[in-house]
This record gives sequence, C-alpha cells and structure tokens, in this order.
Amino acid sequence: MSLHEVNPSIKAFAVVISILILSLFFDPITPLLTIIWAVSITFIFGRISFKKWILLFAPFLFIAIIYVWSTMLFPRLHAGDSVIWKWGFLTLTAEGFQRGVSLGLRVLSFATLSIMFTLTTKPTDFLLSLMQQCKLPPKLAYGIMAGYRFLPLIKEEFQTLQNAHRVRGVARARTIPEKVKQIKRYVIPLLAGAIRKAERTALAMESKGFTGDKNRIFYREITVSRIDWLFFTLMIGAVLLSTFISWKLGYLQFYNGEL
Amino acid sequence: MLAKWKLREVIVLSVLAVVFAVVYLLFLQLGTVLFGLFGLIGYDMIFGIWFIVSIIAAYIIRKPGAAFLSETVAATVEVMLGNAVGPQLIISGMIQGLGAEAVFAATKWKNYSTWVLMAAGMGSSVFSFAWGFYVSGFAALSPGYVTAMFFVRLVSGALLAGLLGKYLSEGLAKTGALSSFPLGKEHKRNVTV
Repeated sequence: MSLHEVNPSIKAFAVVISILILSLFFDPITPLLTIIWAVSITFIFGRISFKKWILLFAPFLFIAIIYVWSTMLFPRLHAGDSVIWKWGFLTLTAEGFQRGVSLGLRVLSFATLSIMFTLTTKPTDFLLSLMQQCKLPPKLAYGIMAGYRFLPLIKEEFQTLQNAHRVRGVARARTIPEKVKQIKRYVIPLLAGAIRKAERTALAMESKGFTGDKNRIFYREITVSRIDWLFFTLMIGAVLLSTFISWKLGYLQFYNGEL
Repeated sequence: MLAKWKLREVIVLSVLAVVFAVVYLLFLQLGTVLFGLFGLIGYDMIFGIWFIVSIIAAYIIRKPGAAFLSETVAATVEVMLGNAVGPQLIISGMIQGLGAEAVFAATKWKNYSTWVLMAAGMGSSVFSFAWGFYVSGFAALSPGYVTAMFFVRLVSGALLAGLLGKYLSEGLAKTGALSSFPLGKEHKRNVTV
C-alpha cells in the first residue's frame, strides 16, 4: 500500500474529519499521539524525502511557538487556576500554560496530517477525484483546470510587463506608496489579460462541444477501492485511539462551549 | 447552482479564483511575519485580503453563488498548489464564501453598492471567525483579547476585501475587459452618459 495510490477525496476527508475531531479537545496528549501517528504513516507509506517534509513543516514550528506564547500571555482565567507568576497585567497559570502547549501541539498535528496529504497527492488527480466522487460540476472542474494551466502564462506575462516597464524607464519603487502604485500597475493588466484569455477559452471549449453535462465519461477514471476505506478507518481510528489514551491518562479536556 | 451560468462566466470565475489563490499564498507569508510580530492578532490585521475574490467575483458577475464558489475554488486551488495548510482550507474557503454570499443574498443579489460590498467582507469576517474559534481553540484565550481579534478582523474584512475589491474591479472595468459582464456594462453606461 502506498499513500500515493489512496483515493484523493477519501484522503482529504480523512484529514478534514481528523482535524474536526482534534478541535474538540484541549489537552496535549491527543495531538501529540496524532503527530507521532501521522509522521510515521507519512514516512512508512509515503516514501517522502525528509528534506521535502521538513521544509513544509518548519514554518509550523514557528507558528506553534507563537500560539503557545499568545495563549500564555492572554489566557482565559478560571477560578482556582494556580498562578505561577504575575507581573502587571500578565498572569501565567499552570492551566494556561497547559492549554497553550495543547494549542501549539494542535497546530502541529494539523500540519503533519496536511503535509501527509499534500506530499502524496497530484493536483489534477485531486480535481478529477472531486469531480468523479464528490459531484463537483464538470463545468467548474474543467474551468479550474483551464485556470490552473494559465498560471505559467500569467507568470510569463508578468515578466513581459516587468521588462516593458524597465524599457520605458519606470523607476524601481522604494517607498511604500510607490510600491502600492507599482502593485496596481501589475495587477490590473494581469487580471484583464487573464479574463480575456478565460473568455476565449470558454468559446473554444463550447465550439469543441463541451456542454458541461454531468452524464459524461472520463478518459482517466479515479476509483474507490476497499483499501481506500481501510485507510479512512485507520486514520479516524488512530485519532479516536489517541483521545482514548489521553482520557485513560486523565488528561482529556473537552471544549465545553466557552465563548 | 451552476445550471443558470454561462460557461464564459464559470471559466472567468475559475480564472479569478486561480489568480487570487496565488495572491492568497503570498499573503500567507506576510501574515506569518505579522503573526510573529503581533501574535495571533497579526493574522486578523490582513485577514480581509483572503475574502477579496468573493467580493470581486460577485461584483463583476452578479449571480447567486459567485461569492461562495469563487472563494471555494480559490481555496481548492491553494490546496492544489501544494500549500501545507491542507484540505481543511477548502472548508475554510467555503465558510468565508458563505459569509459574503449571505450578505449578497440578503439584498436578493440586486444591490452591489459600496456599503453592501463592505458588509459582505464583514460577513466573511464573522463566519470565518466563528470557524476559527472552533478549529483554532480561541476559547483558551482571554475574552478581551478574542474580542479585539474579532473587531480587527471585521475592519480588515470591510477594508481589504470590500473596499479594495471594489477598487480593483473598477480598475478592471476601465480596461474594457469586462465589457460582457454586468459591471463592465454599467461602467460603459456611466461613461457614455
């Protein structure tokens, strides 16, 4: 079994539902166990190079740290929290610290699950699967694919604009107002060009007989097999097992509707 | 929802969403810098930019579903481009799009004045904040701080999505590229009169 072969929609749902479950809890153990699980799965069944993985993961470490200190500096105080340290309006409590660490680990658990998806899914397969399994209308799906193919063209156009500006002696923007003006000078022509191209593409698609009818056949069929459902069950099962272990250890803390 | 749409409109919506998906990813990096400087509230300052495609698509195309679909597609493309936030971004996109769509729906998709566009940006702010409250666990933060985050995001939605979206769309209308869309036609009428 390889993660690359799992049906993209099912993989996406497994990640999203895991995240929805993880969001219910405010304890450090559940996300920590999920992180260990997601990372092991990614490397055992994904055959991902560590370098690629860490490049995507590193920014989340930074985000997680900010989460921890934001929660520590501005905690929701409960009666009976044990205060560790107090200075001016800042109050650090043991419970606040634990919740901060939990939120930081939650960010990291989301990240590991998402990276597992991102690094093992081809973009076009994902879109085809959304159309074939999740009833995404073909009109929209092929529209997205056409738009996706425009990206390199738009990049080229951007370079052409840059060169044209340089040839005509437009000075490099230095101050912030100049930079804002410069952005406008690029954004409007690029968008206008993209819209014109989109209209021409629509015309071409229609003239070749594309109706957007939902009863169509596909050149590349994306299938769902038993292995896909096994994967789904395993992923959700692992998250539930993590919460169970956390509960057994006495850490589990529910979100109880505080506003 | 798409049955009443012309293919031309669907493709233009998709292309707008693709372009702004790239813009969104670039702003994610700016957001992370602000986040580092100001903490959680840093993201809220520029959160409005992530709703802008809803406003632009709805303002140009003026059909039910434009705000919702464009934001959802933009989020899907962000996932396709391989950003590490992952598939739950599509849910966030849907929720943000619904926030703007709700405001346009309240005017029965008839009124696209500046105030409505700003309110649509704020609609996205409200919806996305409720979602963030659950997923990011804002309940662990002090209520005062969370309230401040909410108001910063509300203002950001009104300005960076509503006003900036209107401004960009009108700049586009001036180029003539929108001549077959309601906004382009409206612009032409105003110029000739």
